[in-house]
Amino acid sequence: MPDTRAATVEFDRVTKRYDESSAGSGTPGAVDDLSLAVPAGKVCVLVGPSGCGKTTSLKMVNRLVEPTAGRVLVDGVDVASRDVVELRRSIGYVIQQVGLFPHQSIGENVATVPRLLGWSPSRRRERAEELLTLVGLDPAAYRDRFPSQLSGGERQRVGVARALAADPPILLMDEPFGAVDPIVRERLQNELLRLQETIAKTILFVTHDIDEAIKMGDLVAVMAIGGKLLQYGPPEEILARPASPFVAQFVGTDRGLKRLSLARVDALPLRTAITARPGDPAGPARERILGDPFPYLLLVDERDRPLGWLDQHSIPATGVLSAATAIPMSPFFDRRTTLKDALSLLLDANVQAGVLVDRGGRFRGLVTVGMVADWFRASAGRELPDALSATDESAAAAVRV
Amino acid sequence: MIDWGWLADHVPALLYRTGQHLYLAAIAIVVGMSISLVLGVVASRRRRFYPPLSLFAGLVYTIPSLALFAALVPIIGLSVLTAEIPLVLYTLVILFRNVVAGLDAVPQDVREAADAMSYAGRARLARIDLPLAVPLILAGLRVATVSTIGLVTITATLGDAFGGLGFFIFEGARRGFATEIYAGAIPTIVLALLLDRLFVVLGDRLTPWARRQRAVAAAA
Repeated sequence: MPDTRAATVEFDRVTKRYDESSAGSGTPGAVDDLSLAVPAGKVCVLVGPSGCGKTTSLKMVNRLVEPTAGRVLVDGVDVASRDVVELRRSIGYVIQQVGLFPHQSIGENVATVPRLLGWSPSRRRERAEELLTLVGLDPAAYRDRFPSQLSGGERQRVGVARALAADPPILLMDEPFGAVDPIVRERLQNELLRLQETIAKTILFVTHDIDEAIKMGDLVAVMAIGGKLLQYGPPEEILARPASPFVAQFVGTDRGLKRLSLARVDALPLRTAITARPGDPAGPARERILGDPFPYLLLVDERDRPLGWLDQHSIPATGVLSAATAIPMSPFFDRRTTLKDALSLLLDANVQAGVLVDRGGRFRGLVTVGMVADWFRASAGRELPDALSATDESAAAAVRV
Repeated sequence: MIDWGWLADHVPALLYRTGQHLYLAAIAIVVGMSISLVLGVVASRRRRFYPPLSLFAGLVYTIPSLALFAALVPIIGLSVLTAEIPLVLYTLVILFRNVVAGLDAVPQDVREAADAMSYAGRARLARIDLPLAVPLILAGLRVATVSTIGLVTITATLGDAFGGLGFFIFEGARRGFATEIYAGAIPTIVLALLLDRLFVVLGDRLTPWARRQRAVAAAA
């Protein structure tokens, strides 16, 4: 049962001091005058070095930590004015060590909040099975096991299932994949992104890993020691226009490549090629490419599927075109190929152009190194990346640097 | 060597003393456990109470039991309390410390997750903290029970109305009659071993979730 309930989360000039004398500066975990708005249904990643106050910020949403000053608003309502029990039952919470209850079965763990809400046992069992299935665990195999019998990755899946049990509009995730190995982490990240397409929760996600932030976030908030927000915006924008040298350094010297990994071939303008079919007269075809700045002929079959390249030397002066003399195709892209992969494949194959094909394998256009470079230059200067949809403009307006 | 005739004549007395032994021990264990639970919960939440309580329990444990039983008679007279007060006090050193250790052993991430899911105060204590402290509490209970079974024999010094199986040990020693000493000592040992075993089985039943951890610990 997909649910589309989600809530907005807003930090309004939130400050948390742990040590009165130091006025918030430098105390690990302190937060200094944080303002940021997360639109409903979006993933906002808080990223920064350890001690930058990202976890503290997260915990102020479900009131595990109370702010020294300022307000945290959920759907416009100050969380301080809400009953803490009711508030916490409406916010899912996932942490790095998972925090499963070792003495309860997986099924009981998942049904924790439903039990606190007084659901009937049969409804709880049903919900637990539904959620285990949702996170990719077979209920029959896992329901009655104890947490100690599961692997780290499995436990983390159960943690996510438990957080979603009462269908909360908000999910808080504190380094949820920090304790699993890189392969499992990658898989869990992908599963969460896929899951989010269905559940569309408002997710606040804390990590110290900039790559994870860029991958997971619709919006990324870069924080620094002292709990200061340095930059807030879509990952494309953070990478293209870091607001300060610190942000630039934090996102890394390979931020250009990271930008390329976020954009896909369909972001490039369509560039066609001169095409012909085997059996077409060779003479006129040769004429067509001789004057072109890209003097190659793309041979396609009767269903427009690419067969190979022909240059002026491999086209006979008379007779008809044949696939036999064509240079084999390389590399192929589809519109979902990232620009980073496209660039890598082009450099690897040592060719001027790759071929963009649709689902049916039909030729759609060319992709060249030059086109990727042009996109790179053009997108860095753009005001707002087009990844920002209309509903995101309120978030963009709330960005404070 | 063993006077079988004497044993045959004293079966009812043996049974009666065994019952009395268990009764005296059970009161001490139940009362000691209850006090330890309350004090342990308080001390694990408010750390400053832990050092004085732990010190008190430790100091009491150093008093020779023979002296403590005797010293109480002039103060509170002779009743079941005279036997039970020292027996209870001696359990505290193990039970109180194990309750605190058990509660302290609840992982921080588990507490935080419980809090975040709106478990508060007593609900968390009852559903999360105490169940997770059970393995350490039971370990304390095993030791305290075995030690109490032994200590009950000393209460025989208070008079014929006390002592459980210890009555036979003291009588036998006084009369230089070995059979009677054995008749008190051997069932006492058997009781201690049986109860120890009982708690192991009970622990297995109560904490199926910890079985794997135990297996791992045993293999290590």
